[in-house]
Amino acid sequence: MGAFVAYPFASVLYHAFTRWDGIAPSEWVGVSNFRLLWDDPIFRTALKNNAIFALSVPIQLVLPLIVAFAIHRRVAGWRLFRATVFLPAVYATVVIGILTATVLQLDGPLNEALGGVGLDGLQREWLGSASTSIPLILLIVVWTNFGYNVLLYLAGMSALDPSLEEAARIDGAGWMRILVSIVTPNLRRVLEIVLVVNTITAFAFMFTYVYTITNGGPGTDTYVSEFYIYQQAFTNQNMGYAAAIGVTLVLIVLAIGLFQIRILTRKEAR
Amino acid sequence: MAGTPPLRRQRRRRGSWPLVAAIALFCVSAILPLLFMAATAFRTQADWADAKIGLPTTASLGAFERAWTGANIGLYFRNSLIVTSATVALSVVSATLAGYAFSKLRWRLSGAVYLFVLVWIAIPPLLLMVPIYVQMVQLGLLDTYGSVILLYSALNLPFNVYLMTAFFRSVPDELIEAARMDGAGIHRTFQLVLLPLAKPAIATLVIFNVLWSWNEFLFALLMLQSDSVKTLTVGVLQLQGRFTSDYPALMAGLLITSLPVIAAYLVFQRHLVRGIVAGAVK
Repeated sequence: MGAFVAYPFASVLYHAFTRWDGIAPSEWVGVSNFRLLWDDPIFRTALKNNAIFALSVPIQLVLPLIVAFAIHRRVAGWRLFRATVFLPAVYATVVIGILTATVLQLDGPLNEALGGVGLDGLQREWLGSASTSIPLILLIVVWTNFGYNVLLYLAGMSALDPSLEEAARIDGAGWMRILVSIVTPNLRRVLEIVLVVNTITAFAFMFTYVYTITNGGPGTDTYVSEFYIYQQAFTNQNMGYAAAIGVTLVLIVLAIGLFQIRILTRKEAR
Repeated sequence: MAGTPPLRRQRRRRGSWPLVAAIALFCVSAILPLLFMAATAFRTQADWADAKIGLPTTASLGAFERAWTGANIGLYFRNSLIVTSATVALSVVSATLAGYAFSKLRWRLSGAVYLFVLVWIAIPPLLLMVPIYVQMVQLGLLDTYGSVILLYSALNLPFNVYLMTAFFRSVPDELIEAARMDGAGIHRTFQLVLLPLAKPAIATLVIFNVLWSWNEFLFALLMLQSDSVKTLTVGVLQLQGRFTSDYPALMAGLLITSLPVIAAYLVFQRHLVRGIVAGAVK
């Protein structure tokens, strides 16, 4: 593991300060990669898109919590719900991406269905502009990871002392009240995990969605940071510059990641 | 989830029907891709040209045929099987041994090494794609099964080790003491006492690693360039390019890619939930 994870990490740090095509020996250029990056409009677009995808975080904090509580309280059909809610996370991201691109194309099923029910006015080229494709990708990402968060919350709820909820119910509290005042405050650990995992997803696990749904287009409008790393490294052969983007992103994600490690190690210490 | 008292089930379920309807709607949307892929894969190209949404008029297997042999999906399927099974075997065996070493054996630097392993859970491997790629070129592993098998195992290892260590820690030391009193060494103790107990935890690792390895895309895209080694996630993308207008064949390819993991999920579902419980509340 050291060979395949630790060495690349050291290597990416070094090459961030070089000009390098990946074949010829690299040339030391100091911080000029980072200076270029600071003014790079494409990198800004990419980071901005990552930040938009981070809007999934508040959604994933709240909605799956409510769904998990309903399943926890065994509403009608809870077994079926628990089994099905994770299904979107089982499909390969590539499969979801290709399906999305297929359904949303100009003469695709979505526009056909809209025409079929007389909503012709809503027909459009869904992936033709970032203003529609970015929200749609956001929706797909939320949909895919939703079940994972539900299961995390369910796991937390199953570890709670049932007598707490019972006591609140006897006092006449409604289910919403129990969720807000009794259950949620006791799920702090799980809420932290959901927060961190979904934030990291928005910044570092968006490549496949973008690659398969819009391929970054139109132009560079739907780029995300990793897509830009991929493009600089493997299309433009700018390995040094790609490494600099990587390092910058690692620093952003590490700030979030350190927080995550703290949670994990605190659990160890117990 | 199993520990809730049974009397709750008798309670009246009321007042929450809009919520139940919303959850049901989400669950329908979860099954929808499967239905769409299946319905379209059995249709003909003429059907698709006629209408994008519809049921098959003839139960035509032609799309599967065109995908499986015409577009090499059969070959990619085999490659995915090889890569996934080798990855799962390698990463589960090494994580089980490491979990045992970190939890039950006392050795120098144990704590430091464990922390070193945990740190990598937090670093998204996607950001390291450049040096990993270059390293694979230098090792001469590019375009071989070995590249992704080693890489996937390494990337899965931190989480696997974490889960196995947590599991072995929950096994009471008295059991191990008892085995030692009976004259068993560390290897026999592991084999005869811990391994049988660890079966559910190992099942959890297997399902997580199967889903992850089968579905992985970016590194497969970077490392596997010839048809003879490509896995399904990369291969199926080619189908999209090659048969731009043959959507039934594309859907057949996507369905073939999805069915094994859906089957694995249905079989191991219980263990997957248990793994999430262990990761979230232990």
